[in-house]
Amino acid sequence: MFSTVLEQFVNGIVTGSVYAIVAVGMTMIFGVLRAINFAHGEYYMLGTFGAWFAIDYLGLSYEASIVVGVLATVVVAYVIGQLVMRRMVGAPAESGVLATLGIALILQNAIIFVFGGGYKFFAGGYIEPVSILGFSLAQQRILILVVCLLVFVGLELMVTYSRLGMAMRAVSQNVDCCGVVGIDVPQVVLRTFILGAALAALSGVLTAPVNVSVYGGMGELITFKTLPIIIMGGLGNVRGTFFAAMILGVAESLVATYVGLQFRDTVGFATLILMLMWRPHGLFSTQARF
Amino acid sequence: MSLTETAQQARRRDYRIPLAAVLVVVALAAPFIGSRYVTHSLIIALIFMLPAHGLNLLVGYTGLLSLAQAAFFGIGAYTAGLLAVTYGTSFYVNLIASGLVTGAIALPLGIPALRLRSTSFVMCTLGFVIIGQAISKNWISLTRGDMGLSGIPKPYFELGPLSFTLSGTTNFYYLALIIGAMATLAAWAIVRSPAGRNMVAIRENEILAESLGVPTWHYKLIVFMISAVFAGVGGCLYAYYLSVVSPLTFQMYYSTTMLIIVLGGGAGMISGTVFGSLLFVGLTEALRITPELRMIAYGLCLLILVFWFKNGFAPLINRFWNAIGGAR
Repeated sequence: MFSTVLEQFVNGIVTGSVYAIVAVGMTMIFGVLRAINFAHGEYYMLGTFGAWFAIDYLGLSYEASIVVGVLATVVVAYVIGQLVMRRMVGAPAESGVLATLGIALILQNAIIFVFGGGYKFFAGGYIEPVSILGFSLAQQRILILVVCLLVFVGLELMVTYSRLGMAMRAVSQNVDCCGVVGIDVPQVVLRTFILGAALAALSGVLTAPVNVSVYGGMGELITFKTLPIIIMGGLGNVRGTFFAAMILGVAESLVATYVGLQFRDTVGFATLILMLMWRPHGLFSTQARF
Repeated sequence: MSLTETAQQARRRDYRIPLAAVLVVVALAAPFIGSRYVTHSLIIALIFMLPAHGLNLLVGYTGLLSLAQAAFFGIGAYTAGLLAVTYGTSFYVNLIASGLVTGAIALPLGIPALRLRSTSFVMCTLGFVIIGQAISKNWISLTRGDMGLSGIPKPYFELGPLSFTLSGTTNFYYLALIIGAMATLAAWAIVRSPAGRNMVAIRENEILAESLGVPTWHYKLIVFMISAVFAGVGGCLYAYYLSVVSPLTFQMYYSTTMLIIVLGGGAGMISGTVFGSLLFVGLTEALRITPELRMIAYGLCLLILVFWFKNGFAPLINRFWNAIGGAR
């Protein structure tokens, strides 16, 4: 009994790590742009498809496919950033919602149009189980955990010390003053957006061997799960996002085991609505920043 | 020429009544002019016009961007489907029931959701669609889950001793046309009433409207419910037309379609919504574009509407209206 709970807990942490890497990009984009990126899950999907393409069509190894997936997403994100995201600086919240919904439709259906809507088999990754502390865990899951920790330590350092990180914090505090002191706001937005998209793609490529199947509509579900996480974490709060993602991952995993698998995907939205009702500023921020 | 006679503007020609007559004739004759497929496209456009009218009241007049329209559309479709399959009640009973049920469900959903502002409201309404889909998938004893409800009968009427069944695409077209016309009139009546002006006041400046004595909270809640009723009635028609309801009726895609109709036609304009549903839904159906390309086109439409074509076709429609002798 106890070992099943523990196993589900660990599974939840792994799922949470996947969500965390996606959600942190979205929350940073919200920080600089004050707009929810409804297309964020599509970059996760793009990364996965890039890697699948590299393995299936180009015959590359899994390691190389990670690079291909992330780079392909960065290129797409650069184009979208230049054409669309830059225009969203200072635009009303509604136009951000509509524009990113439009991008989500375009990306998702472009992939379905090119590669077909069916499920594809993702052959790659480290699926050998290893035994730690008495129960076995696939190598890939350990890799996800390690990458997640590295990403968050890296982001924490970047946001605190690097030039871009400081600019990001400045933009998220006051856009007008940034313009006054000469920070190129659209440039900061663009870079944050590309960074977020690249992280989502990385998360997608890392998860693909665990999920095995790849399909065009997979991004939508990730977007929907990211929304409650960024609200729970407090919009724009990097550290809060990490813990919120872990909470959602573990909650989903426990609900899937003890309530029913079909209710797993409902947990997120139930959380979202409850959070919006009672603590719209999140669990980890003391007051609403936006 | 006496001095009291001032220069008069040249009498403008008024083509509005002839145009209206032509439109009515075209609408009535459409099934005989076009092919069967054109009639089908027009029916789909008319069905989507209903939730779009509701959304227009919300987005265009009250200024609330909502994605919940697909949820109410689905609830309406399921209500009509369940009543028709289980109890075999007549069409108009189911139509009214769909409207009432969705309106009643919108009340407890609207009370918490409307407390939220801009982006949070959008996310919350998106949540309703996802949860609606989850419920329709998992409440198997009621909805038969992923199998959906199939075999919804043709619209069946019962008026006292008389009873008849409506079959065939052409007849369904007239049914959709009558309901669509009634919905358009209803939306027009709401917008033209003092309540409509109060809604616009809320859209323009909520705090100012409140300070002038407009009960903004009640207005928002009632408009949310009315928009749900429109969507529910549309869902009922959709269920009857397809004769199948499945959890796929609860889709983000439908909310997006309705947004494109409203924004593309010109938010805050009844004629814009009618025009938008014909242009975006009717045309894409009639051109038989593959679903993926259609959705890519919808995505591009959204981007274009947001950044380059903010008022949709509204200025064009207004100009046309003035050119044929409308209000100046």
